[in-house]
Amino acid sequence: MRVSEDQLRAWMTGGLDGDAVAHAALLKALVPILRAFYRRRLSDSGEIEDLVQETLIAVHTRRASYDRDRPFTAWLFSVARYKMIDSFRRERRHCNIEGLDEIFGTEGFEEASNARVDVDRLLDGLPAKQAGAIRKTRLDGLSTAEAADAAGISESDVKISVHRGLKALAARIRGEGR
Amino acid sequence: MNTDTLIDQLAGDVPRVPRRARLYRLGGGIVAGAIVTLMAVTLGLGVRPDLAIAMHGFAFWMKWIYTISLGIGSLAVTAQLARPEAPRLRRFWPLVIPFLLLGAVGAVEMAHVPTADWLAMWLGKSWKICPWLVLVLAAPIFVGLLWSFRRLAPTRLRAAGAAAGFTAAAWAATLYCLHCPEVSAMFVLTWYTLGMMLAACVGALCGPRLLRW
Repeated sequence: MRVSEDQLRAWMTGGLDGDAVAHAALLKALVPILRAFYRRRLSDSGEIEDLVQETLIAVHTRRASYDRDRPFTAWLFSVARYKMIDSFRRERRHCNIEGLDEIFGTEGFEEASNARVDVDRLLDGLPAKQAGAIRKTRLDGLSTAEAADAAGISESDVKISVHRGLKALAARIRGEGR
Repeated sequence: MNTDTLIDQLAGDVPRVPRRARLYRLGGGIVAGAIVTLMAVTLGLGVRPDLAIAMHGFAFWMKWIYTISLGIGSLAVTAQLARPEAPRLRRFWPLVIPFLLLGAVGAVEMAHVPTADWLAMWLGKSWKICPWLVLVLAAPIFVGLLWSFRRLAPTRLRAAGAAAGFTAAAWAATLYCLHCPEVSAMFVLTWYTLGMMLAACVGALCGPRLLRW
């Protein structure tokens, strides 16, 4: 059962005010949320658990960076995403150099980055809300619920934004092709 | 370690965090570093002997308003980059105002001076050393900001490093004004700003390494 943004935020604020019980409740509630977040992106269960713990520690030690007036889950997922990227970076540092050819060869790096540039250019032409919703759900791999939490809007609002945004993009691409 | 044990450990130590903790933390780092910088300026370089007179003049306040406004503006950018969420930097466009204003003052100044004296006015007496002093004096404040970041969560480390470097240099330049006798706006606009840019470059270069968490 997923705990609501309001409840998480209340616990976080309580912890910030020095309430250890609220802080413990928050950290406990974050465990399944973070596990789900990382499980959707990674497969190695040991790695997932490490990241969950690292993120909990970061939530604890870096809570001064949370602004009480802003959505909590957006802050949380930003921390979680940073921890994941950081762990990728660390691993790449230890990556065997003999395997590099394969990695570059199979990843289709150039096409992917060109596509990314095109996508960025197209999304820039959309209203910020639509572009944000598409970016989060279609590019960053967030679920509709996560994207809604992160932007502080309702789920149906995210769905509508994605739908309208994609429609506008399709129209624009047809226009550009001409 | 077991995740539950970890949570128990973390929940055993829950100090209160004030509402504006991020700014206090950054401010604390800047002040701590600025004390060292201030000592370096007063004991190492020496306060300009005519400071009391200069403080009644236009040039001194022009320099201070320039460096202090950049210090406040860049601190706001640094504070924004100390949060993990994607930063919204567009609303910091007013940061260009100090540059434009000082440029305008410089243009007026040059209009009142014969062309032959422009170069002397622009280079002053200390153009070779000024940017480097600003850079060196920024170091203690930059270290203070690194301490601040230990409780904060930057996710764009290069940008955060650059912002911290620029902020440190803007405040270092503010203290350097106590020593520096230069009076021309073009001098400040060029050489002070160059020092701040150098510090921002150093910050951008070592940000990913020093700000990792």
